[in-house]
Amino acid sequence: MNAGRIARASLLAVSALLFAPFALAQGAIRIGSILSVTGPAAFLGEDMKAGMELAIEEINAKGGVRGRKIDWFFYDAESQTQKGLTATRRLIDQDKVDAIVGGGNMSGMAIAMLGLTERAGLPFMSTEGAMDIVTPVTERQWTFKSTADDEQVMERLADYFAKKGIKRVAFLGDSSGFGQSAAGQLKKVAAARGLDVLYESFNPSDTDMMPQLGKIKDSGVQAIICWTVTPAGVVFLKQAQQLGLDSRLTLIHSYGFVDQRYMQLAGDAAKNLLLISVKFPVGADLPDTDPQKARIMTLTRAFEAKFKRKPNQFVAQTYDAIYLTRNAIERAGGTDRAKVRDALAETRNWAGVGGVFNFAADRHSGLSKDDLVLVNFRDGSFHLADYK
Amino acid sequence: MGQLPNLLLAGLSTGSVYALVALGFNVIFKSTGAINFAQGEWVMMGGMVAAAGHAAQWPLGLAVLLAVVTVMVTGILSERVILRQLARPGPLVVTLVMIAIAICTKSLVMLVLGKNPASLPGFSGSTPIDWGGLRIHPQTLWIIGITCLVMVGAHAFFERSILGRAMRAVAAQPEAAALCGIDPRMAMALAFALAAATGALAGAIITPLTLTSFDYGTVLGFKGFSAAMLGGMGSLPGALVGGILLGSLESLAGGLISSHFKDAVAFLALLLTLFLRPAGVLGKGEVERV
Repeated sequence: MNAGRIARASLLAVSALLFAPFALAQGAIRIGSILSVTGPAAFLGEDMKAGMELAIEEINAKGGVRGRKIDWFFYDAESQTQKGLTATRRLIDQDKVDAIVGGGNMSGMAIAMLGLTERAGLPFMSTEGAMDIVTPVTERQWTFKSTADDEQVMERLADYFAKKGIKRVAFLGDSSGFGQSAAGQLKKVAAARGLDVLYESFNPSDTDMMPQLGKIKDSGVQAIICWTVTPAGVVFLKQAQQLGLDSRLTLIHSYGFVDQRYMQLAGDAAKNLLLISVKFPVGADLPDTDPQKARIMTLTRAFEAKFKRKPNQFVAQTYDAIYLTRNAIERAGGTDRAKVRDALAETRNWAGVGGVFNFAADRHSGLSKDDLVLVNFRDGSFHLADYK
Repeated sequence: MGQLPNLLLAGLSTGSVYALVALGFNVIFKSTGAINFAQGEWVMMGGMVAAAGHAAQWPLGLAVLLAVVTVMVTGILSERVILRQLARPGPLVVTLVMIAIAICTKSLVMLVLGKNPASLPGFSGSTPIDWGGLRIHPQTLWIIGITCLVMVGAHAFFERSILGRAMRAVAAQPEAAALCGIDPRMAMALAFALAAATGALAGAIITPLTLTSFDYGTVLGFKGFSAAMLGGMGSLPGALVGGILLGSLESLAGGLISSHFKDAVAFLALLLTLFLRPAGVLGKGEVERV
């Protein structure tokens, strides 16, 4: 009897071994993505799509996830929330994807999309910026994001101000969601860190900021933080220079303004400017001990080989998002949605290209202030100005 | 209160731009009775073409001339190819068609010149002039100066020259003007050419200060339209008054109250004017003589 049982058990074991690869390869893993590669938000979309393409190609070239290749379903949201929602429904009902990565490269669209993905119980890895995408976490059970929170950005700035003895600053944010949500976070951080802040705003389409700057000039602040992704940020720099503020005060722009084109338009009005950014644009300047340096260099080489142009931080954002999802599927042992969600929430100390990701059940945003640096623009490229 | 002169200067400079845009609205309103919603797009196109010309190593003056000519041709073509085909070019129809032309112009500029914002160097550098504590960008003086010249020129054209008076005659009474031998079509074509040219000039002279991009036209158009309404639609001095009033209000509201209310105060002033003086500050109102 005993021998028979052993024989049967070993037969089972052998057959399990023999058939395991086939049993696991239940067809490809289906990942859906929505980005805006046309319309007003298109200037980010192309690069973000390229980051995803590269990541998926790499994963499939290495044999996929546990022997299963990734099938990628991509839709262009054309910078219109309505189109993004239609594409989301299509991904859920028709393409029956296992996860969605990318929310149209517009925060508002990602927030609209997550209403559908939450209801469907589908893991959604957003590549957009706003904190509201992942808070409150009780209503965002299935949603994660691969970008830094404004709260962490403001903490990082407060650290810098403390180091430089700066106590009074002005915040000049545009009236879009991007500028106003940053203002909201700064209010919280400033209260906790004892910063005295003067708040001013402008419209993204404004072409004159003299009234605001005149007021700021008279208020005796030591630094001005400008928060916008529109060319109005260049007007800010030029007019600040005209008033002689650039040589007297510390001028800071957000991560949304880390763009060569804007720096070239601003010319020497940007010579004393600092920008808060992820480490990506200054990869070469990082100390060798930095966990991101090698990863940034590898991605840069792979990207240049495939696309014949230089990658930017937006490429890193989506490249990381695909890998975060891939790793979660691998650890979950398959595409069971709840297991993938739990595996995502258990991501700890994973060094991506954009930073070191740490998710938790109550924190669905992975980067922290340690992943942020201050950079400046000299001789045609961005350089590290303040590291930790 | 130390910043009051600075605020007024800023208001004067933005206001001059609004006045130039408003002038374009008025010229077309005078000759067709329609609101030309493509005016803002022509301003944007002027800036974009001048910037493209400069990027292609053209001398600055030539780049500006190129912009004015290109946009003027666009204006004339819009009139000749599209408006002239209309069976009944009444004011409402022309206004609606101009909205369509505005959207097409914007898309065309985006497709041909790209989505990136562009800039021009200041006409006489960008070193601020220090004038007793007031720091003035030299381009501001160019803007104010050119606006004054264009305004005086437009006034002289419509009041003194035969062509200008013919255009006014067509606007006032097309049939009677035609009986006197004035071709109403010619007057309309001329109005479009003039409006497009002033728009392009405005776009080219503000670009060193404000930059430009394919999506800048809409807002400029609305501001210019507001200025024209504020001053009185159809009145040339009204364009100047309305523009400077709107620019100063915005600047003062932004500096003295709060930048959050900058646009709100300006538009509130516009609404109040329309309630109390529907024809605008300098408008004459519609008087029909029987």
